Amino acid sequence: MGTRAVEDAGRDERAGKALAATGVTVRPAVPGDAVGRVRPRWVVLPETAGEIAAVMRVSAEHDLAVVPAGGGTKLHWGAPPSRCDILLDTCCLNAVIEHVAGDLVVRAQAGLTLEALREALAAAGQELALDVPVPGTTVGGLVATALAGPRRFRYGTARDLLIGITVVLPDGTVARSGGKVVKNVAGYDVGKLFTGSYGTLGVVVDATFRLHPLPADRAWVTAGFEPPGPLGDADRAAGLGAALAAVSGSQAEPSAVELDWPDPDGPCVMAVLLEGTAADTRAAAVRGLLGPDSDLRPTPPPWWGRLPEPPAAQKGEAPESRGREDEVLLELRITPPRVPGVLAEVRRAAGDLGVRAAVRGAAASGVLHIALHAGTDAGTVPGTDAGTDAGTDAGTDRGTDGGTDAGAAARFVARLRAEAEDGGGRLLVVAAPEEVARRAGRWGRVGALTLMRRIKERFDPDGRMSPGRSVGGT
Amino acid sequence: MSALESLTARLRDALPPDALITDPVRLRTYECDGLTVHRATPGVVVLPDSAEQVAAVVGLCAEHGVPFVARGSGTGLSGGALPRTDGVLIVTSRMRRILEVDVPGRRAVVEPGVTNLAITEAVRDQGLYYAPDPSSQQICSIGGNVAENSGGAHCLKYGFTVNHVLAVEIVTPDGEIVELSEQDAGYDLLGAFIGSEGTLGIATKITVRLSRAPEAVTTLLAAFTGIEAGGRAVSAVIAAGVVPAAIEMMDALAIEAAEAAVRCEYPEGAGAVLVVELDGPKAAVDREFAEVERLCRESGAFEIRIAASAEERAAIWKGRKSAFAAVGRISPAYIVQDGVVPRTALPGVLAGIDRLQEEYGIRVANVFHAGDGNLHPLVLFDDAVPGEEERAEAVSGLILDLCIEHGGSITGEHGVGVDKSRYMPRMFSADDLDAMQLVRCAFDPRGLSNPGKVFPTPRLCGEVPGVRRGVHPLVEAGLAEQF
Amino acid sequence: MDPELIKDCVHCGFCLTTCPTYVLWGEEMDSPRGRIHLMGQHVGGTPMTGEMAGHFDACLGCMACVTACPSGVRYDRLIEETRAVVEREHERTPDERAVRAMVFALFPYRRRLRAMRLPMAMSKRLQPFLERVNPSLGAMAELAPPAARPVRLPPLVRARRRARARVGLLTGCVQGEFFPQVNAATARVLALEGCDVVIPPRQGCCGALSVHSGRPEEARRFARRTIAAFERAGVDAVVVNAAGCGSSMKEYADLLAADPAWRERAERLRTLDLAEFLVRLGPVAERHPLPVSVAYHDACHLAHAQGIRAEPRELLRGVPGLELREIAESAICCGSAGTYNLFRPEPARELGDRKAERVLATGADLLVSANPGCTMQIAAAVRRAGKGEIRVAHTAEVLDASLRGLDPGALGRAPRTGRAKARAV
Repeated sequence: MGTRAVEDAGRDERAGKALAATGVTVRPAVPGDAVGRVRPRWVVLPETAGEIAAVMRVSAEHDLAVVPAGGGTKLHWGAPPSRCDILLDTCCLNAVIEHVAGDLVVRAQAGLTLEALREALAAAGQELALDVPVPGTTVGGLVATALAGPRRFRYGTARDLLIGITVVLPDGTVARSGGKVVKNVAGYDVGKLFTGSYGTLGVVVDATFRLHPLPADRAWVTAGFEPPGPLGDADRAAGLGAALAAVSGSQAEPSAVELDWPDPDGPCVMAVLLEGTAADTRAAAVRGLLGPDSDLRPTPPPWWGRLPEPPAAQKGEAPESRGREDEVLLELRITPPRVPGVLAEVRRAAGDLGVRAAVRGAAASGVLHIALHAGTDAGTVPGTDAGTDAGTDAGTDRGTDGGTDAGAAARFVARLRAEAEDGGGRLLVVAAPEEVARRAGRWGRVGALTLMRRIKERFDPDGRMSPGRSVGGT
Repeated sequence: MSALESLTARLRDALPPDALITDPVRLRTYECDGLTVHRATPGVVVLPDSAEQVAAVVGLCAEHGVPFVARGSGTGLSGGALPRTDGVLIVTSRMRRILEVDVPGRRAVVEPGVTNLAITEAVRDQGLYYAPDPSSQQICSIGGNVAENSGGAHCLKYGFTVNHVLAVEIVTPDGEIVELSEQDAGYDLLGAFIGSEGTLGIATKITVRLSRAPEAVTTLLAAFTGIEAGGRAVSAVIAAGVVPAAIEMMDALAIEAAEAAVRCEYPEGAGAVLVVELDGPKAAVDREFAEVERLCRESGAFEIRIAASAEERAAIWKGRKSAFAAVGRISPAYIVQDGVVPRTALPGVLAGIDRLQEEYGIRVANVFHAGDGNLHPLVLFDDAVPGEEERAEAVSGLILDLCIEHGGSITGEHGVGVDKSRYMPRMFSADDLDAMQLVRCAFDPRGLSNPGKVFPTPRLCGEVPGVRRGVHPLVEAGLAEQF
Repeated sequence: MDPELIKDCVHCGFCLTTCPTYVLWGEEMDSPRGRIHLMGQHVGGTPMTGEMAGHFDACLGCMACVTACPSGVRYDRLIEETRAVVEREHERTPDERAVRAMVFALFPYRRRLRAMRLPMAMSKRLQPFLERVNPSLGAMAELAPPAARPVRLPPLVRARRRARARVGLLTGCVQGEFFPQVNAATARVLALEGCDVVIPPRQGCCGALSVHSGRPEEARRFARRTIAAFERAGVDAVVVNAAGCGSSMKEYADLLAADPAWRERAERLRTLDLAEFLVRLGPVAERHPLPVSVAYHDACHLAHAQGIRAEPRELLRGVPGLELREIAESAICCGSAGTYNLFRPEPARELGDRKAERVLATGADLLVSANPGCTMQIAAAVRRAGKGEIRVAHTAEVLDASLRGLDPGALGRAPRTGRAKARAV
């Protein structure tokens, strides 16, 4: 044991020296640098693709695991890495490399925050039409998590607007794919593989996006709906469903149709964004569809473009601030017509399991986020019938070690996932305490798991890039 | 017995008799796709009519180490479906069922042999359509669209195949049936598969997004004395923040060809015509259309026609959509080129093309998706004149160099195929190509799926972890190198 | 097979989906592009194999590909030349030869056709037996329309108002014998619109059947006779109400190109389809309302070979109360294609079924077409589908009913009699 420690120390020292020799800024990691409880040994702050490549070569030579990070806002998302020696912070790569307004294209470095990018583009009357719902997100983080906001309904997600990418592979190779023209089918689109890869294939150095002109006008229409009934109240579901279908299929061409249901006992609000030419006229048309009780507003509702917050443990209490360790964030992906039905199931399952969950998201795209505290109603879970019912759904997760709260959250996930997958949808555990994730599984059904593992194997044969962060242990 | 012969014997057992073609005269009709300069008679052709049959064929190919190539309607313009004489050509033209139309969910599930336009025709009554519209949409198959990530005139606003396909069921090069869905967590394999030109497997079922037909569509034809004025109009429209559904430009020579072919009756004396189409909510279209019309006039349009009906719109589009084949009327032979440049680089590139025409004594007709800088120069030549074909080839290649120089791409929608693989190293570094090769190796370590396409040198993947194989016959024969 | 014409094909594939056999089988060599490729192979020295001949024979000659082709490939000429080569170089099976001999001995000759009417009527009952002996005989029996009373049209029908034109009327072999009421209606409509209609009594077959079957010599003989007959009539134009005949007559100059004198005579003969002629002439006679829904079927030899699609629709829309419905896949052949349904009954039936399904889907009261072969073919397919007798009529009959203010319920009712004949004229 003693020898082993000495060997490790020797190895560390050699690796540390090699890192220092690259000339890249390196500092020892502190507890705050942990990626999901795994603490790296070094934090490196490269300033160029060449420096990233140098770090990656050292990591290859010394078998060091690397986790790239941008704003660090979503490091608790996905699975924690199975090991992490180097946290590669891209904060120093924060420039807009090229923005030719006439081409509606921008190339930006990975560490640039989307806020800074927005500012730079707005000066030319343009924007990257992705409203990422987490402030402080960087270009690299956007690509790695494939996160998108309300306007995904019209513009799609990062994969749809990404037209070129530069990455550093785990062996230090700098590779590029795509380019700076929107229309381009030369070669494989490696950028697509990197969207949603959680840093497991390599380090994003810069990304090129297709832009859109900033809309001249914007208008929002909001309308309240009775919450989807716990007993599958057909009328309520039908009301919401009909409104959703009418608005998303409307000739007014909305850019986003969002749903917010912050409190399971309160109403559910639909907000529709109209932008561009004649936004007012078109908003009026949407009001016509949503009825006289709907409101027309020049600014978004306060919750617009933000992830849902877990509701308070008890009815009536104020929601607690974000960042509690027992926070669970789920992403539901279903076909839009199923939204009302699945929301009703959310309410049923929450009631059965004593879970309080908030729902928000792009209803017309069928992508909803659900937030809850794993510790919700701890000790007050009506363990009896609800527990039995959900226990069968959750399968084997009847362990006693994690306490009832994690169990309830896991069973909630299992029930919703079954409902989602039943109709060809998915339920992803985006962020959750380890215990909940372990019991419920993070990713749900993945049709092409074998292929994903083979991709990982080819890009990162030694398993050094954010190992274990993504699906199937990749 | 060669591997192909023993494979053919097995195919005979696995497929109905009419799904297997071995007669040499019949085989030869499959020797090329829409690009006829590359020809190779396939070793054998199969016409499966289900995913299971495709999987069975591919599985047998894997077992025998025989390469296979997928083909839809055979309309591709980069030789992507060029067969292998030592391989199997898998033609999906009998897999043309529309399996499911989900109107509320706005999606349809179709087989790969369904034509692009057939999807729209099946849902038009519901007020829906399938947005990507390559010029060959009446005949090109959706499987081919997936392989090439096809665009079309309207991709300026609506995007490409990759933005409208929600899931594909594929047969992997080892014969497994796997679904790639946009809903899956993890890497965007769906996005990587689309546009991979048949080198990562064969799509056997495709779920497409259906779009709502727009409330209003307005189409305008503006005639200019020359390309420069037309180009100014395009820049002005884009700068005004308008995103038209399509902006297409044709130069004088292309207009002449279209006139000869379909009597499109474009304005007399036009050195360039611009087709601008706006669609969307009526209130928005009306206002933006007035703006576009004004900008065209200010840029020097001497005649503007506005389509008042679906028939008139069709008449305006007719000339544009038939332009490629129409060039056959004014020239004995021609090369259809496909390159992309940043829109702001268009004037420089067009001037460069003019210089090449003069220098080589070769005429070039220009048809292009002006909104996204996608050029389709048609390089004309007479194959009866000695040396002219070579000069045309040279001009065609130099045009691609121009595109690369200006930060563009060697292909916007026709694909790399076999025709442009040699240009890939000009656009990408060896490291870039190696990274792409990693994807290939993950899907198809033995390089059996459409080998010889997209990438310049056939390269085989290294050892697959855990499995050892002998020296690959292609390496032994000196035809390929190890990656 | 002219290599220059073959070279015009750039292999773009725009023809594929319009080709009936490609629609059926999805095979390259049964598409126009594939057949042109096969022609190229033959020109390049590959002998005419049985497989090759089979793919040429499988072509219906519908010419939908000619319409679809953006490069202007003359597939019509290519396939005609090819069929002649097939006849010359390819040895057919005895069965095929027998059926062909019978068809060519029978159809172009009105008197022989007339003699066949009674046996054909009987053959309906014998159809299952005939089908077993030879599918072509079965098809013939299945297709045969109910026997019509013969109509003898006068050699001249005078205009019913101030004469605007003097036209000749081609009565056609099949049209004349099986659908005499169509010729009668055509003559009445022309007369009511102000035409003197000359109907040469000694006119024979126009040669269409022969030209489409690779028998150019026979075709030329028929063509010369037809030209001579109408020259004697001294007319401004020859009006044809059968699409197949019209398209062949418009090609007479090509057919007779080798003989300058005859070519010139052919060029002087002005042939027009009835719908084309009437639209150019412009309507003068009063249209009475005809409350009926009509599915209009594009006969290939009208729509593709002659490019006439808008005119018949315009005429039908001109009838007050008439509702015109489009048939899905209107560009795809019904499978009749001249003699095709006799020589290649199986694919013809498949295509017929496909067409019948789409015709029935329109829910229209009446199917209207300008070619007797099409209506026979589709009616037989409807019968096969167990949907009884579909009402069919020629464009001329619809116009005739409207001009004369007849009850639309009588249109297309079987069995027909020829009694309506020239009474109104």
